[in-house]
Amino acid sequence: MSSQPGLAPRAWLAWSLAAVTVALSTTNPIYRGLVALAALNVLLTWLPPGRRVRPLALAVVLAAAFAALVNVLASHTGADVIVRLPSDWPLVGGPLTVESLAFGGALGLGLVAALLAVAPLSLVLEPHDVVDAMPGALERTGIAVATSLNLVGGLGRTFTAVRDAQRMRGWRPRGIRSGNEVLVPVVLTAIEDSVLLAEAMEARGFGAGRRTSYARSSWGKWESAVVAGALGSAVLFIVIRLLGAPVDWYPYPTLAWPPIHPALVAGCLALALPAFVPRRPSGRPTPGGAD
Amino acid sequence: MRRAPQLRVGLVPALLTAALAALASLAPVAAVVPGCAAAGSNHAPLVVEHANGSVVTRCVAFDSGSISGEELLNRSGVAWSGQTFGGFGAAVCALDAEPARYASCPGQDHYWAVFVSRGGGTWQLANIGISALTLADGDAEGFRYVPSAGTPSAPVAPGVCSLPAAAATAHAGATAAATIGAPAGVTGRESPALGVAGVAAVANAPSRPSDDSPGSGSGLDLGLLAAAVAGVGLAGLALLRLFAMRVRPR
Repeated sequence: MSSQPGLAPRAWLAWSLAAVTVALSTTNPIYRGLVALAALNVLLTWLPPGRRVRPLALAVVLAAAFAALVNVLASHTGADVIVRLPSDWPLVGGPLTVESLAFGGALGLGLVAALLAVAPLSLVLEPHDVVDAMPGALERTGIAVATSLNLVGGLGRTFTAVRDAQRMRGWRPRGIRSGNEVLVPVVLTAIEDSVLLAEAMEARGFGAGRRTSYARSSWGKWESAVVAGALGSAVLFIVIRLLGAPVDWYPYPTLAWPPIHPALVAGCLALALPAFVPRRPSGRPTPGGAD
Repeated sequence: MRRAPQLRVGLVPALLTAALAALASLAPVAAVVPGCAAAGSNHAPLVVEHANGSVVTRCVAFDSGSISGEELLNRSGVAWSGQTFGGFGAAVCALDAEPARYASCPGQDHYWAVFVSRGGGTWQLANIGISALTLADGDAEGFRYVPSAGTPSAPVAPGVCSLPAAAATAHAGATAAATIGAPAGVTGRESPALGVAGVAAVANAPSRPSDDSPGSGSGLDLGLLAAAVAGVGLAGLALLRLFAMRVRPR
């Protein structure tokens, strides 16, 4: 069953794929910014109780700042020089320009838009929802990936538990070598957990046939509208690019305002449609068979 | 749930098309030395200003409603070579034998800055490749070999290559892109007279307000307006949602 009385997992997956495609198919910061804002609205609308958006916001801001910093330090193209670093400095030596800073900002904005577009897959959906959304051919791969990702969280929890236990026994971190006293138990516990998980999955019939679901996720007109809008937006960007209209933006050699096509703005807006989907009344899911 | 496979099938061709388009855009642009262009009902001037100030101009005719900057350059007969940079499009590396050789494109010291003039207006620096640049009747494409540092200066003002009414009937079938180039060493800021098929049709560009950006029409920029409204609306909505989450935690 889906934990949220909202869109079907497959609609979320299609929306995320389309939004990421749009965000990464252009270097124009206007389109990327609009995709990021649309995805932020969607995320805030469907964020379940108890889920925090602050860690994601922090990661997004850091990623964007890092991208802008790397570009401004490594790219020395552009007419307007902010500061000139000594040319004998490796990699960063040379002029740092307004244009490279602007392009770095556009790259960072692309990362922000892409991260916000995939965020609902982890913050709104449960792992089993994502597995349900996978096409049949990718089902087992999806389960393997989801299981591996779950083990990452488990590894962190094990590390904290082992470290606390060792401290209670008088252990104190003294250099890299002392870390072995925590790392070795953590690795052994992780292997043991993996074996237990594999046995549990086998006992539940993993690999014996198609995966079954407790409840069949319903597909209504809103799911169709969201998927049509999202895929239409992605196709619009690709078609307009193929027709030769400028979709990208480059600030070199001098900074100029990005070209904006009204149809592409409309395409970005179509990605905000899930933010306006009404919530279904919550209730018990409809029992169903194999999905 | 039956519609999902249909949507999945629709997504695969779209992704394949995008991948093929990306691969096609990586293909290098070969050097082009075309012959004279055919006649057409529309015209666009081409201005090439070298580092030493010499100016070469051509008037290119075309029948379609618009022409790409790359096609205009091809039809002009001016030899050039270039390189494609992903979504940016084709960039000019060498034009009219300048530089004679190059190891990197754009060059370390100089590069060919591309300008566009809309409807006889002033030059605007184009921030897109010439393959992505679209020119209509009366627009002009300009190139100037400029130093890598500093804001590039525009080339000499584009002329207008239009046919007088009396010559219009004789125009069909004539060879366009007739040489209207200035001799080397022209230092004036006005381009020499332009003509088509040997018809001396000379007119200076009318003074018009410049466009905001290459590729945009005159007047209200609908794209900018739409983006501003959409951006403000989405940002306002996100702030309202954040505020609601703080006031009434779920």
